[in-house]
Amino acid sequence: MPKNQFIDPDKIRRKGEIIFQPLPVNQYDKSLSEERKNFSDDALVGIYRDMMLIREFESMLNLIKTTGEYRGIAYNHPGPAHLSIGQEAAAVGMAYNLDADDYIFGSHRSHGEILAKGLSAIHRSDDKSLEAIMRSYFNGSIYDVVAKNHEGSIKGLATKFLLYGTLAEIFARVTGFNKGLGGSMHAFFTPFGVYPNNAIVGGSGDISVGAALYKKVNRKKGIVVANIGDASMACGPVWEGISFATMDQFVELWEGDMKGGLPLIINIMNNHYGMGGQTSGETMGYGIAARIGAGVNRDQMHAERIDGMNPLAVIDAFNRKIKILEKKRGPVLLDTVTYRYSGHSPSDASSYRSKEEMEAWQKHDCIYNYRRDLIDNKITDEDSLRLIDAEVNDLVFETFKLATDDKISPRMDADKDPDIIGKVMFSDISVDAMEIGDPEVLIPLKDNPRVQQIARKERYAFDKEGKPYSKMKQYQLRDGIFEAVIDRFYKDPTLVAFGEENRDWGGAFAVYRGLTEALPYHRLFNSPISEGAIVGVAVGYAMSGGRVIPEIMYCDFLGRSGDEVFNQLPKWQAMSGNVLKMPVVLRVSVGSKYGAQHSQDWTSIVAHIPGLKVLFPATPYDAKGLMNAALQGTDPVVFFESQRIYDTGEQFHKGGVPQGYYEIPIGEPDIKRSGSDITVLSIGATLYRVVEAADILQERYNISTEIIDARSLVPFNYEPVLESVRKTGRIMITGDASERGSFMNDMARNITEMAFDYLDAPAVVVGSRNWITPAYELEDYFFPQPDWIIDAIHTSILPLEGHTVKNDFSNKTKIERAKRGI
Amino acid sequence: MATQIKMPRQGQSVEYCIITKLYVEEGSEVKEGDLLFAYETDKASFEYESEQDGTLLKWLFSEGDEVPVLETVCIIGELADDERGFEIHAGEKHGSPDPLQRGDIPLSRHKVGTSPLKGGSHPPGPSGPSPFKGGSGISPRARKMAEEMGIDISMIKGSGPGGRIIVRDLEGAEITEKAVTTTDDSMEYSDEPLTNIRKIIARSMYQSLQNSAQLTHHLGADARKLLEAREKIKEAKGQQDFVNITINDLVCFAVIKALADHPRINSQLHGETMRLFRHVNLGIAVDTDRGLMVPVIKSADSLSIEEFSKRTADLSEQCRSGAVDPDIIRPEAGSFTVSNLGNYGVEMFTPVINLPQTAILGVNAIVPRPADLGGGVYGFIPYIGLSLTYDHRALDGAEATRFLKQVAEEIKNIEIK
Repeated sequence: MPKNQFIDPDKIRRKGEIIFQPLPVNQYDKSLSEERKNFSDDALVGIYRDMMLIREFESMLNLIKTTGEYRGIAYNHPGPAHLSIGQEAAAVGMAYNLDADDYIFGSHRSHGEILAKGLSAIHRSDDKSLEAIMRSYFNGSIYDVVAKNHEGSIKGLATKFLLYGTLAEIFARVTGFNKGLGGSMHAFFTPFGVYPNNAIVGGSGDISVGAALYKKVNRKKGIVVANIGDASMACGPVWEGISFATMDQFVELWEGDMKGGLPLIINIMNNHYGMGGQTSGETMGYGIAARIGAGVNRDQMHAERIDGMNPLAVIDAFNRKIKILEKKRGPVLLDTVTYRYSGHSPSDASSYRSKEEMEAWQKHDCIYNYRRDLIDNKITDEDSLRLIDAEVNDLVFETFKLATDDKISPRMDADKDPDIIGKVMFSDISVDAMEIGDPEVLIPLKDNPRVQQIARKERYAFDKEGKPYSKMKQYQLRDGIFEAVIDRFYKDPTLVAFGEENRDWGGAFAVYRGLTEALPYHRLFNSPISEGAIVGVAVGYAMSGGRVIPEIMYCDFLGRSGDEVFNQLPKWQAMSGNVLKMPVVLRVSVGSKYGAQHSQDWTSIVAHIPGLKVLFPATPYDAKGLMNAALQGTDPVVFFESQRIYDTGEQFHKGGVPQGYYEIPIGEPDIKRSGSDITVLSIGATLYRVVEAADILQERYNISTEIIDARSLVPFNYEPVLESVRKTGRIMITGDASERGSFMNDMARNITEMAFDYLDAPAVVVGSRNWITPAYELEDYFFPQPDWIIDAIHTSILPLEGHTVKNDFSNKTKIERAKRGI
Repeated sequence: MATQIKMPRQGQSVEYCIITKLYVEEGSEVKEGDLLFAYETDKASFEYESEQDGTLLKWLFSEGDEVPVLETVCIIGELADDERGFEIHAGEKHGSPDPLQRGDIPLSRHKVGTSPLKGGSHPPGPSGPSPFKGGSGISPRARKMAEEMGIDISMIKGSGPGGRIIVRDLEGAEITEKAVTTTDDSMEYSDEPLTNIRKIIARSMYQSLQNSAQLTHHLGADARKLLEAREKIKEAKGQQDFVNITINDLVCFAVIKALADHPRINSQLHGETMRLFRHVNLGIAVDTDRGLMVPVIKSADSLSIEEFSKRTADLSEQCRSGAVDPDIIRPEAGSFTVSNLGNYGVEMFTPVINLPQTAILGVNAIVPRPADLGGGVYGFIPYIGLSLTYDHRALDGAEATRFLKQVAEEIKNIEIK
């Protein structure tokens, strides 16, 4: 909400109309002979060879899937194979002008794009850098396989390397580009600019925007192409990604060399089908997919339909569009018409399309027609092309033999090391800055008004007499987060933060107050209300090499970013074979007072997903130390904050919150108060209710409570908790998440299993009710309260003399509620 | 007509007994006086003799089972006895796998696991007995502690949720037996778990010294008349009505007389209350193979010396055979205790009080000591050593000394008919 942008009612209310410009449809009409001015004969033949290589590669997979053998050698590939036979011109044309600095993102049907982009990168790289890439990647383990017995050029070797790394990956071999952990639908090879292909339809729609943002903000060479299918245009994340990519602020508010659009092409690989659904005529209403661009921004995304059956038409379009990106007028939307002869997958009987249709498209086959044109124009002759065909076939066959040889291409040895996949889930490294350089800031840190304000605050909540300072005077939890975040902004030049109301407003809960003064737009900006894209863009930004703090304003909105949080953020480090890093700290604010859709604690849902680190600090000291640790790592961290305690001072850490930098180790729970009779393990803001309960237990019942603050959910070190339980013999786990299926239950189960002989009662969980978060006035009937904790202890752990319960924690009631699903 | 043989109640404090052996197989003939089964409490073991002739129709428990007292153990009758009655009883077989049948069993017997909401019954583990009094199981921590401390959980009433035995219930609980001896010749030592009685002694002696203020006064008593009396008794050996009254009996008799004049010594201390006894319930320390036992002779002051002596001999024998009534070997049963080590030649020792009693008299060997015989004549007189340990919380030194002095006087002047 920048104040310099005046929303003028006189203008806004004025009569007028929106005038659209015509969108070009298949306007390319050059003949091959005309194009000979622009291409050497070798280059034109090379296009043929690349298309043939892709077709043979895909045909090989098709034969394996449908006949169980290729050229007489049997092989069983149980995994997926979504083939792109028929789409070769679209892939090769798209990649033709791209080098290793340009990134492509794809879909489940991207083998052709991987090969086309890889071949183009090889063609445009010098031998020295190719050799360096091949020899260093996974310590040369892929190079060693293909270099043996290789005769010929480095580029020839690099082609074998590309084919083998891709196929070995498809066959889940440890010598694949991603150690076999990506597979057919997710294979990629970043040194050639091939970024993750995404098996979630439209998954690349917002991730690619993050990569383009990274290129722009960090002034990196190259453009980003998102090759997504026509059917993905129905997906929310794609729309959100497009909305994010076309924000006015890039042009209106970003300053200096940052002014201007993202270097991004959304390239719809339009093969007209989403599985069996026909996008034009059945499942969508756009008629021609390029139409979508018209409504998005004033430039209409420079949208255009192009003929993807002709490689030269695609090359022509990309040439023109890249120039637009260079002028910072992106992003661009392309509707690249193509057709797949193979089904969605080998199990697809093509019951949704007619034989006539398929035969008609085969008459337009990109390779057949291009081949005929080459001969007709005497660029080459039949014999030479047959030689190329034979060479291509041999190359694929040799690759096939290597990739299916269990000795040369073994799988990960999970017998030898059962945790081998576990070891690639996180990178667990410590990095001050993702890149060396001077971070762009607007003022020295000491001149920052927020920094100056915090300097006047009391960093420990109590004075010498133990009396609390006033809230205003106390250094608050939000100050702890701020200090860690601004510190990193002054350390890591790649760090950016975005989300709803991050700039100007300073975050809905004033955590970022002071950041606007410190940072230029391109490092801190407001996003559209697109939670999917907020996280998806961060994923793309991080996998490209930058550090990023996206923010979800209310935990309840996490559902809006479901795919990004569940499928993208947690998985790419492992699916890349630990090539990619994911330095994303996703701040998620857990609400209160705002009812059913603004007050839920979803830590348990996030903790369930493998690949995320999950933190929930409850004190300023822990918030600062954990945020520092999160920002120092390169793993995706979901950092939960509670709105109930943003203004809470430091009540536990004697000496107060240190002014300097410190880290709290992720995964370590903290004993907030020692005790001997019972342990209460608390997650998040519930800590303060546990403290109240512990005081009552001590005063009324002479029960001494040991309070442990989990601080982290994933990872989690159980040792200190078990040690406590061995001492007290009793444990309750509590937190604000709804109890059913919660992480608290997980903890209770683990503790029971690991400390069974030490338990004097079962590990008892007190979570929130399994119903909606009601209005603030009724919240005490939803979130765990001190008297709940005491009543549950009395009922299920240790009957307290003279205690009368207010809340029913009896088995009878639990069974009754479970029966009713509440 | 079938008869149900019930587990006898061996003392008021006993609620369960463990069947250690079944002597008769189902279907076998039994005669009156035949041994049917052996059983034990945590303090003593017993055998059950059949009181009738018949056929043993059914055992309702097995060896090792813990049986509530007054519960039917087996059924004796004729083979032709009413099938239906038989079946009803058979359905009651302890540990019946059929939960529906268990549901019909009277609550008084099966407090465990009758309600599905109360946590169910405790599954018998390799080391743990199954039924718990009034509760629904035991917490793992309490189980572990009980095993380590040798506490018999069957005697404990649980105070946890649903009557679960939890750690706090183990405080003040008694020690049970676990007799597994591991010996390994290659080792320099062998570890023997303490026997049941050893554990009880260990606990009560330790607790006694931990929880009271004990000190001991030593005094000698002129034993000439004592020895004379003993000689006189011996002479009567072979006569009708002969009772072998021992020196210890005589000393005890002197003690009983002295206690009559010192009621504060004949007492127990319970917290802030002194319990003064109207009669003397005299505990006598008896050495047995199983360990020290202290049976109590109730109202010893109302017995003649002969009666007292006979009773002492009987009880000692019962203790040695393990057939003693558990109720009379509880420390709470006695008001004063005598422990005699004289026949071992011990000249002085500091006996440990059997709490909650307030004092114990140690009786030592008789040794000759030089004494002024009067008229400038000195000679050796046999003296019997007396060592009185008293709880200074309950009694003061002067009071204790006056009592001890009187015991010495009674011994010095002891007479026998």
